[in-house]
Amino acid sequence: METTKHRFNYLRFRSNPASPRLALAAGLVALFVAVPLVYIFIRALGAEPEAWGRLLQTRIWKLLGNTLLLVVAVTSGALLTGVSMAWLTERTDLPGRKIFRWMLAMPLAIPAYIGGIVHLALLRPRGGYIPKLLEDIFNQPIFTPSPLGFWGAAFMLTLFTFPYVYLLSGAAFRSLHASLEEAARTFGRTPMQTLFQVTLPALRPGLAAGALLVALDILAEYGTVALLRYETFSSAIFVQLSGRYDRSAASVLSGILVILAILFLWGELRLQGQARFTQMESNWRPTPPTALGRWRIPAFLLVTGVVSASLLVPVGVLAAWSIQAFLDPETFASVVRTGSQGFGSYIWNSLWSSALAAIIAVLFSLPVALNSVRYPNRFSRFISRLCQVGYAIPGVVIALSLVLLVNRLLPFLYATPFVVVIAYVLRHMPQAVRASESALNQLSPSLDEASRTLGRTSLQTFMQVTLPLILPGLLAGGSLVFLTSLKELPATLLLRPAGFDTLAVRVWAWAEEGFYLQAAPAALLLVIASALPLYFLLRREQIFK
Amino acid sequence: MSKLKISLLIFIVMALLSACGGAPTATQEPASTEAPAAATEPTTAVSTEVPAVETTNVSGELIIYSGRSEPLLQPVIDAFKAKYPNVEVLLKAGSNSELANALIEEKANPQADVFVTTELFTVQSLAEQGIFQAYMPVGADQLPAEFLGPDNLWTGLTLRARVIMYNADLVSAEELPTSIFDLTDPKWKGQIAAAGSTNGSMQAQIAAMRQLLGEEETQTWLSGLIANEVTFFGGHTDVRKAVGGGEFKLGLVNHYYYHLQKAEGGNVGIIYPDQSDGQIGLITNATAAAVVNGAAHTPAAQAFLDFLVSPEGQELFAEQNYEYPLVQGVALQPDVQPLDGFRLADVDVVKASQDFEATFDLMELVGLP
Repeated sequence: METTKHRFNYLRFRSNPASPRLALAAGLVALFVAVPLVYIFIRALGAEPEAWGRLLQTRIWKLLGNTLLLVVAVTSGALLTGVSMAWLTERTDLPGRKIFRWMLAMPLAIPAYIGGIVHLALLRPRGGYIPKLLEDIFNQPIFTPSPLGFWGAAFMLTLFTFPYVYLLSGAAFRSLHASLEEAARTFGRTPMQTLFQVTLPALRPGLAAGALLVALDILAEYGTVALLRYETFSSAIFVQLSGRYDRSAASVLSGILVILAILFLWGELRLQGQARFTQMESNWRPTPPTALGRWRIPAFLLVTGVVSASLLVPVGVLAAWSIQAFLDPETFASVVRTGSQGFGSYIWNSLWSSALAAIIAVLFSLPVALNSVRYPNRFSRFISRLCQVGYAIPGVVIALSLVLLVNRLLPFLYATPFVVVIAYVLRHMPQAVRASESALNQLSPSLDEASRTLGRTSLQTFMQVTLPLILPGLLAGGSLVFLTSLKELPATLLLRPAGFDTLAVRVWAWAEEGFYLQAAPAALLLVIASALPLYFLLRREQIFK
Repeated sequence: MSKLKISLLIFIVMALLSACGGAPTATQEPASTEAPAAATEPTTAVSTEVPAVETTNVSGELIIYSGRSEPLLQPVIDAFKAKYPNVEVLLKAGSNSELANALIEEKANPQADVFVTTELFTVQSLAEQGIFQAYMPVGADQLPAEFLGPDNLWTGLTLRARVIMYNADLVSAEELPTSIFDLTDPKWKGQIAAAGSTNGSMQAQIAAMRQLLGEEETQTWLSGLIANEVTFFGGHTDVRKAVGGGEFKLGLVNHYYYHLQKAEGGNVGIIYPDQSDGQIGLITNATAAAVVNGAAHTPAAQAFLDFLVSPEGQELFAEQNYEYPLVQGVALQPDVQPLDGFRLADVDVVKASQDFEATFDLMELVGLP
């Protein structure tokens, strides 16, 4: 399969000599993406040796340990949860699996920090709702595990990142050829042996991609770890930025964090490269589901538990808080009026900044994707890779870089909402590039050629033939950028001009002060606003067809 | 396709608009007011003769950076807006040092008009870096002299005391601590909540202790807190709610958090620590406000400062937030104990502000969360 693909690309390349204008446009986009990254390295290397020395002595090793420990724990947790949920809903006769498929993917609409706020309020030792309830029932304090620190952070981040793995492994389970497992069974393997010796190894590339996506997410995570007071690189950089009056320490920590992320990303790209073509032969047929037998009820309870903790409880609690907030006139007034602007302005700010970021990211991704798909060569592939670095630059680092860069080079843009939009574009560009590339990959170049033969210019061809055909794919990429921008917290917190609050910022500002009721309506709206594009995206996924 | 064109058009128009709107500010050079390094001269009221700004004349935006958390400033902003309906107030609330960083970054391209902070060291340090313009608000002559910045570069607003609050259901009267140094006693292990290193009031307390006790003793105290498994929250609201809810027995807070928790019906008590001979006395922090040098909306900024030190503004701080107003003659909230009865720690603001960086080093050294 690989070889045919390559020959195919080779033919495309031969028939269309590289377009210098397109390459220039792609190069400019890559430059735009690379500048903040390079700037952070320059700042980090330019920091005084004193700052390096102090950090090496005190912070770096502990932060590195903390961060990697959390990455490993959450990635393992997400793999375990994601794969087992995918297996149960795709491969067994689990009752209610059709509904569970949706419910297991929907936690992607809940930012981890919002889930964290809810679980913290529920579980906080002595003060949480659950410990209090237990105390009322048993008339004495009952020990409950604390959600603060490492275990709490690992637990909550697992709850809200496992859907990445779930979606990827679900799709892989679905597309795997039935004969593979049948062959194993014929050779006398038990269903369990088949699962571990045949099925899971076949899923490996998809799983690795999902795992690395989770790992990059954890590196960049700010809200949840700050809330649960577990210190990682991201939260330490944030504290540095809001702490002392010099940026060198923050730059040093950012430089190290970006190197970590690039290492992960490099691994992810390598695995992606190997995993790009899944087998989908024409005689594909679904594997008959495994009968769970007496495990039906425990399995059902397990999936219900995961769905409750990651979706039903957070949404239910937010809804209950929102109702309480609306019923209490004083709280209601503070929700509607708090801050310098009204509640409506937060919704509007969230929507337009995320939408604008989505439009720009998709527009920018087009030359990059066209260049790498239509004219594949070393340069165009490099440009495409470079545009993936947004995954590797956590929000806090983008914020630091943009504050310094924009104020020096583009002071007229400084302290405008557009800096926030630029941060969203930089951070979420990879999603747009990947979506555009996959949309273009599905399009036969012969359509273009026919149009050119009929006398259309390349621009006319693009506008009249290519664009209408790839539009659904572009919309998907745009929705993904919109969804992730809507949830973005650290860069928005650091870059927003006075008076420009988004839903995410409002949720955080209220929750950080412990005003959960006031935070709830904004949080619930944010979840609903994220659920709509997510629904659109999931409809395109194989497992929901 | 047409949607795409339209969105592109919108973006270009927006970018152009923002470019046009921003261009004049970009060329604005900061007035070269070199802040005096040693501000020993007693400040004579330079600008008292500035007439009170007419309410109707002030309009446009007013951009406030505030280290006071939003809920603690909002009532005052609402009252100000009621008085100046033509002013649109835009607020960015964060930690003192985060906003101080922004002000320094923006020195050549000022964005904010007013800076409100919860301690004096940050505002004094910024004043020395030329971030503020001199302004003596109308009525500021009613302030004690030590709460007016050198050269009128900042104006004090209110005082807060650093106290220990306790949950009265969980702690009996005889076992109450009397000093902040009791907080390192192992008998309170895991039972104390406080605010962490990004909180301005906590930073100021550590800075004050460094001046009063020296580096070593302060470090011992901080390490003692960490060894005693004190839980450090981002802000004091969390602390007061956790103590009020029985999650912790003791909380190190500003005094008004005790009153706010009490007003919500919590069974909490308050301890004004270190009152005996040989102890350091009650540590207080002043909140302050300043007008930013090169502010785009200076008249509105000055009107806002006037309002903050006016009897009306001071009463709002006193009544709604139980703070000690600095302007003489404004009544305390009846439940609040007057400061006259306490031994107060005496801290030199200018000296502490010049030494403030060392406080951050210390917090980093001991690993204060």
